Amino acid sequence: MNLSEQQINRYSRQIVLKEVGGIGQEKLLNSRVTVVGLGALGSPVAYYLAAAGIGNLRIVDYDKVETSNLHRQILHFTKDVDRRKTESANEKLHALNPDCKIEIINQWIMPNTVKNIIKGSDFVIEGSDNFPTKMLINDACVNLKIPFTIAGVLRFHGQLMTVVPEEKTACYRCVFRDIKEAPSGMSCSQAGVIGLVPGMLGCLEANEAIKSILGIGDLIVNKILYVDLLRNSFDFINVYRSENCLACGDKAKDLVKTHDYRGNMVCH
Amino acid sequence: MSLDKLESVGIKKLDIRGKLCPMTFVYTKLALEEMNKGEILEVLLDFPAALENIPDSCRRQGLAEVLEIKKIDKNNKVWKMNLRKI
Repeated sequence: MNLSEQQINRYSRQIVLKEVGGIGQEKLLNSRVTVVGLGALGSPVAYYLAAAGIGNLRIVDYDKVETSNLHRQILHFTKDVDRRKTESANEKLHALNPDCKIEIINQWIMPNTVKNIIKGSDFVIEGSDNFPTKMLINDACVNLKIPFTIAGVLRFHGQLMTVVPEEKTACYRCVFRDIKEAPSGMSCSQAGVIGLVPGMLGCLEANEAIKSILGIGDLIVNKILYVDLLRNSFDFINVYRSENCLACGDKAKDLVKTHDYRGNMVCH
Repeated sequence: MSLDKLESVGIKKLDIRGKLCPMTFVYTKLALEEMNKGEILEVLLDFPAALENIPDSCRRQGLAEVLEIKKIDKNNKVWKMNLRKI
């Protein structure tokens, strides 16, 4: 056991848990999670993962903080407007937990960069705001066999699913095929969103990462969680792996190299 | 189980005097995690609530069973708790 006195104190409420203990805490400290997007989903994800003592957090975003982000992107403060989100996030996460080594990737996720960005991760969390990025993360993670979770939010609704490629669970492409763009008017900027909806879904994404790294509990696989916080419903919709899926099916190829991820990769 | 027999299976010692709950259990748990099944942990403690909390948490998490709790110093209120890892 290599935990310092200070770490034992910091993580004591996790170590106490039957499912964690000192052994689990060391697993978290030795793990690497990549968080794609440092917006409304990525903010609570990165915050809770840093707090939990994930040892290596790779944070990816190219955006700058805007005033209209602040009602939901809780890592960023008013003083951070116009700063890079990675820079703003790094400052907060480091102040929260110096144990957590932050790797900053100041880039958009693109087909030619995605694999390098996620390589070596024990888990990837997708928290972008557009379908092409979600599909790209799906295809790259499936190809590299890295478990990941994807969430999306709009208005008072959210959805989330986790994929474990090694276990051949249904992937995002099995469910959404080749969706490239959200239907017209269905973006957060046009349709709106209550800040706590991505907050809550982001917390669930972080929980998926922690469970996956520790090998505990049940992941939200082969189903989508659909949350409606206006009507207070939490539903699981079963989804199934498609044998014909281009990303994970029986004749799957490495889509990242060849697939056309057209659509708005850069979405506000 | 006699003390001689305890010695023969090996006793690990943990001094958590000055620690309060839940840190009493946290340190006990961390020590137990490093031990093999059947080994004995001798815990020295002075926080009275831990006399119930440590055995209770160890039982619920299936970590260890209590063999003996003994007051070893009336004035300083120090106890010795022997636990067997399960």
